[in-house]
Amino acid sequence: MALLEAKGVKAYYYVRQGQVKAVDDLDLAIERGITLGLAGESGCGKSTLVNTLMMNVKPPLHLVEGTIVLDGKVISNMDRSTLQKNIWGVLVSLVPQSALNALMPTMSIEGFVKDVIRHHMSVPDSQIISMTKKRFEELNLPVEALSMYPHELSGGMKQRAVIAISTLLNPKLLIVDEPTSALDVCCQKQVLRMLIDLRKTGITQSIVFVTHDIAVLKQIADWITIMYAGKIVESAPTDDLLNDSKHPYTFSLINAVVTPEPEVRKRGLTSIPGEPPNLLDPPKGCRFHPRCPKVMDVCRSVEPTLVKIEGNRIVSCHLFPSES
Amino acid sequence: MVPPILKELFKTKKLDISLGIFIGMVIISIFGSALYPNPLAVAGPSYRPPSNAFPLGTDDRGRSLLALLITGIKNSLYIGVTAALISLAIGVTIGVISGFKGGVTDSSLMLITDLILVMPAILIMMLIAAYLKERNPLFVSLVIGITAWPWVARAVRSQIMSLKSREFMYMSKMAGLRDMRIIIEDLLPNMASYIFMAFVLLMSGAMIAEAGLSMIGLGVTKGVTLGSVLYWAQQNDAVRRGLWWWFGPPGICLIALAASLLLISTALDEYFSPRLKGG
Amino acid sequence: MLLEVKDLRKAFHVGLIRRKEIVAVDKVSFNVEPKKFISLVGESGSGKTTTAKMILRLVQPTSGSVMFEGKDVWRFKKINELRRYWREVHAIFQDPYASYNPLHKIDRILYQAFNLMEHSDTDRNKMVREALREVGLRPEDVLGKYPHELSGGQRQRIMMARCYMLRPKLIVADEPISMIDASTRAGVLKLFSKLREERNTSVIFITHDLGLAYYVSDEILIMYKGSIVEKGPPDEMMNNPQDSYTKRLREDIPLLYGKWDGF
Repeated sequence: MALLEAKGVKAYYYVRQGQVKAVDDLDLAIERGITLGLAGESGCGKSTLVNTLMMNVKPPLHLVEGTIVLDGKVISNMDRSTLQKNIWGVLVSLVPQSALNALMPTMSIEGFVKDVIRHHMSVPDSQIISMTKKRFEELNLPVEALSMYPHELSGGMKQRAVIAISTLLNPKLLIVDEPTSALDVCCQKQVLRMLIDLRKTGITQSIVFVTHDIAVLKQIADWITIMYAGKIVESAPTDDLLNDSKHPYTFSLINAVVTPEPEVRKRGLTSIPGEPPNLLDPPKGCRFHPRCPKVMDVCRSVEPTLVKIEGNRIVSCHLFPSES
Repeated sequence: MVPPILKELFKTKKLDISLGIFIGMVIISIFGSALYPNPLAVAGPSYRPPSNAFPLGTDDRGRSLLALLITGIKNSLYIGVTAALISLAIGVTIGVISGFKGGVTDSSLMLITDLILVMPAILIMMLIAAYLKERNPLFVSLVIGITAWPWVARAVRSQIMSLKSREFMYMSKMAGLRDMRIIIEDLLPNMASYIFMAFVLLMSGAMIAEAGLSMIGLGVTKGVTLGSVLYWAQQNDAVRRGLWWWFGPPGICLIALAASLLLISTALDEYFSPRLKGG
Repeated sequence: MLLEVKDLRKAFHVGLIRRKEIVAVDKVSFNVEPKKFISLVGESGSGKTTTAKMILRLVQPTSGSVMFEGKDVWRFKKINELRRYWREVHAIFQDPYASYNPLHKIDRILYQAFNLMEHSDTDRNKMVREALREVGLRPEDVLGKYPHELSGGQRQRIMMARCYMLRPKLIVADEPISMIDASTRAGVLKLFSKLREERNTSVIFITHDLGLAYYVSDEILIMYKGSIVEKGPPDEMMNNPQDSYTKRLREDIPLLYGKWDGF
């Protein structure tokens, strides 16, 4: 049984101008024991998706339809206090974008940990600290950091501390949203190494890594799911996706990545004309059709459905019509 | 772009109520002054409590307190606006020059600003006021205005310094625009909301400062203000004698004016801050 | 030689009584020839943006010189001299939102450029529209709009349109594509190449992205803590880095066609 299964999920923002269909009729399964990379450009809905998957849904965002089952428990109908007590931090943990800034400047890391843990269990402070120290050692983090204040730590150290603390209660699913976008490359590598250790030591079962940086996913993800304008367009094992992508958007996105490798120079950089659409009024039919180099007539009026191809790969494109 | 912003603004209750109170009092004072053109004229017997003829009673010289109150509001508002404009003019000019030029100009201007900031305003006002035998509302406004500007200068300077290193400033500079043009076209519009709020706050403070000056006998010598009425009430021992219709209404009106202005500035602040972030 | 930067230094003094010196840029020297793309690569705090601002005559150096076509740019005092300089040397900044005054329409960014140009009898509207078309925008789509009504990609292209109007000899581009959607970045990069082909324009790219520098430059300069630690052509930097910082930088960049050790 998959760790997380989402079926028919619709999450819309209700704003003055109408409904922003950030997540629109989405099915997703996260297996146990994998690192899933969720990639797409800004505004494609990936942050909204992961927040919705763990039911962190606050107005103006509403879960309009759909069921979400996490580790066998249906969480899409739980109220916020149940989620806070039994699910968040315990079964699933989300490290949001710029979590570094969530550290209060007047509290030491120790104080922050105590604050977080007290929410979930009533244990004496000494136990919390020894638990945290052990965990820090396990993950190769300097224990001295606990008594320091946020401004004394580097960006990479802060991020690793936040991730370590978010996983203190061993949540089976860890979701990290753009954890390294604001960091220098050396700090980024440290954070990525730590995420790998988290899975190796069994502290978490699966990780969902949200990013726009596909090269990072090559290094740490087992599976990559590509999103565009609120929809999943392709999902496949990492190397299969990078070497043999099926969806035209995936292909263009990969070829827009620039790394200091001679292969990049050889293939050149592609750019896709136009801009990602406004989710208030997305294009009819396939949302990518106005920019697609392989657009066909059917794409302009009919939305493609997710189809299984070659093993467990899925793609949503009229180039791969469903059998039935 | 402007009309939709104003429409949004008026949706906040806080602003509607405080603005309503303030504008209400302004209208009353303007029309009321027309009804009572001669508030300082003796109208009836002295020390009378409120009655049908005199809704707010009379003072020690038999003048209608209602007439005095209405004219008082008008003059207090006048002093408030004038003093605020004077402070604003001085503060914004110094703040802009200081923040924009930097260096020695900045240091010297800020030295002057800090000196005036540190000096007790009341003492300065008392000194100046005591020298002038005849004090009309304009003089009083000047006295208040030249002591209240330092915080405006400092605040404007900070804003300018933070705006100065925004990229659009560089783009204007590299387009070869002269300094004055950059200040007028780029900086001031981005500070308009802040300057307006500063004006509202200055006005509120000025009206209270006027009352303060009046209470020590250094207010206007010609004309009536809320402060003057309170002063006369105090001179005549109104509190001990229980003549609430004398000190009550002016006090309440002064508080209402100052408080409504403060609320307006808070509502504006809440409104403008999220806008600046979102865009 | 188009641009000669010699021993450029910028130090900030903090504190009133016990003055501390923070050196942002420490004796930076390099040259730029016409029609060349060079990249100043460094992480945050390396001093690359401060260097750019000193070249653009926006921030005063503590010592050192910036010579453009043989003249010391920091000796220019009169507004005409400055205008002539900024006509030849212009900038594209990183944040396509902060580069615009939010209270003005985007037209202003373009029409401002006429301040730098001598001939006032040309059809201004025509020039603006042509420049917009050259960068791949339709004038009807963007003229008359406010910055927040346009996307990051559009705003950055309008900045490029301003450069297309000025045809400068040198553009200093500070992270010109880092805040644009990945799918539209290559398009903006092509605009730089177009200017180089048509006008021999040189570009100094300021970036933290070694991948971008490798792809687009003729020469890469690595900056660390205010100094240039290594410089050379891209292939040499990647295949044979000498400096320890460069080596570390290269090791830490996520690759698309290879995997890190131990991952």
